[in-house]
Amino acid sequence: MERLEEIIDRLDSGQAGLRETLDLCREGRELVNYCAAELDAVGEGLKELKLDELAAKLDSQAA
Amino acid sequence: MDLPGPFPVGRYARKLEEEMKKRARVQLMGEVTGVGRSKKQAFFELRDREGAVPCTMWLDDFERSKLPDGALRDGVELVVAGGPDYYRGGSQASPSFSFRATHMRLAGEGDLLAQLAALRTQLQREGLFELQKQLRRAQLPKTIGVVTAESGAARRDLLAGLARRGWAGTVIWAFAPVQDRRAAPAIAAAIQDLAARPEVEAIVVTRGGGSLADLWAFCDETLCRTVALLRVPVISAVGHERDSTLIDDVAAAACSTPTHAAEAAVPLDCVVARQGLQRAALSLRRSGEGAVGARARHLGALARGPARALQRERSSLNQKIREIRAASERGLAERSRFQQRITTVVLRRARQRAVERAEAGLGEGQRRGAAIERSAERALARRRQVLERIELTLRAHDPERTLERGYALAESEGGEPVASAAAAAAAGTVRLRFADGRVTAGIEGDVERET
Repeated sequence: MERLEEIIDRLDSGQAGLRETLDLCREGRELVNYCAAELDAVGEGLKELKLDELAAKLDSQAA
Repeated sequence: MDLPGPFPVGRYARKLEEEMKKRARVQLMGEVTGVGRSKKQAFFELRDREGAVPCTMWLDDFERSKLPDGALRDGVELVVAGGPDYYRGGSQASPSFSFRATHMRLAGEGDLLAQLAALRTQLQREGLFELQKQLRRAQLPKTIGVVTAESGAARRDLLAGLARRGWAGTVIWAFAPVQDRRAAPAIAAAIQDLAARPEVEAIVVTRGGGSLADLWAFCDETLCRTVALLRVPVISAVGHERDSTLIDDVAAAACSTPTHAAEAAVPLDCVVARQGLQRAALSLRRSGEGAVGARARHLGALARGPARALQRERSSLNQKIREIRAASERGLAERSRFQQRITTVVLRRARQRAVERAEAGLGEGQRRGAAIERSAERALARRRQVLERIELTLRAHDPERTLERGYALAESEGGEPVASAAAAAAAGTVRLRFADGRVTAGIEGDVERET
């Protein structure tokens, strides 16, 4: 997110040339996609597990 | 064997009893277990993680200690005063060793705090407070482990805190008792089990507030050493703000409430991050399109440049062509009018002569008249063609045309053309003839040769 802020600040400054702008946009888009995927991974509903049950499952698999 | 004795055992037992009773009287602190009572005395063990001592107390002394009813029970932290005692038994009675307590009180906050301070100093000296704080903490963990009581407000508060963060990942609950003798080992085991799962990125240990005695499990030395050496960051939220347990010191982060623990476990506020990301995506798209658009417009303007210049030149040329054509048409018309006048005069004369001749001889005259008229017309057409050709040739050589183009003709005072610089210098004065008139010009200086 920090890098993303940096990129946008640089773009907003209007000092980047065309090549740099396009490179920054590409890097920014990749970052946005990555962050969105990360956020999506913790945005689809809370999952609650119990350690005891996980341990029991492991034991039964081992057995 | 080269030792003193053998002595009668009874005498030795009595000596032992005397020696024991001579030992210094002290205060001991520990957790009570195995409480029992006979007709004359109470007995129990005082225990901590390093060891235990069997204790006895005459019921008279116990009454004098004025402990609240039922206060002497398993799990209670006690401070007792007294000294070691040895009951030597008898021919029928079994001997026994015990700490003979004469005074007893419940361990107070002060006792626990003193003990805690000593332990805290020791762990700090060993550098155990720093280890967890050096661990890298995930900004956005996908799975967190939580050690807490199965029923309790802490569990609910933590979930509320996570929800407010906009986080809905995976929580692995490890329920454990959080208050009593069994708590510390159970909590330590739960933490280790959670840390053994590779997907767990952070572990929260939490329980609600209480007295220091209630929270004593979280000051357990073994538990705190376990946490300190763990490779997964532990976030503690034990008790309320004013309570400071030892686990707070060794953990990666210590929080005052379960809600704060949720924020520490998920440092990234997902709600804010999602909004920020949306803004960033929008801004990026704008920047990208803007950069290309602005440059495309600029390039477009550049591309139109030559076309505009061409257009400018073309219209200027067209204007010149129109001017030239107008000028030539004016000349042509003038000459044509002149020609027509001459032709009209010639024709009139010819016709006159023809009429006169016709009047002289009628029949023949009439035919000839008609022939003459036809030939006159042909002659006129031929002459007009010739004239047009001449006019074109003339125009090509006409100095007037040259003057129209902006040249000037240098003439002498007498109207003779002055054709060289030398002639002009010799004349001293020339008349310059332009398309629209003449001016007199004085010649200054000598001839400058063209190099």
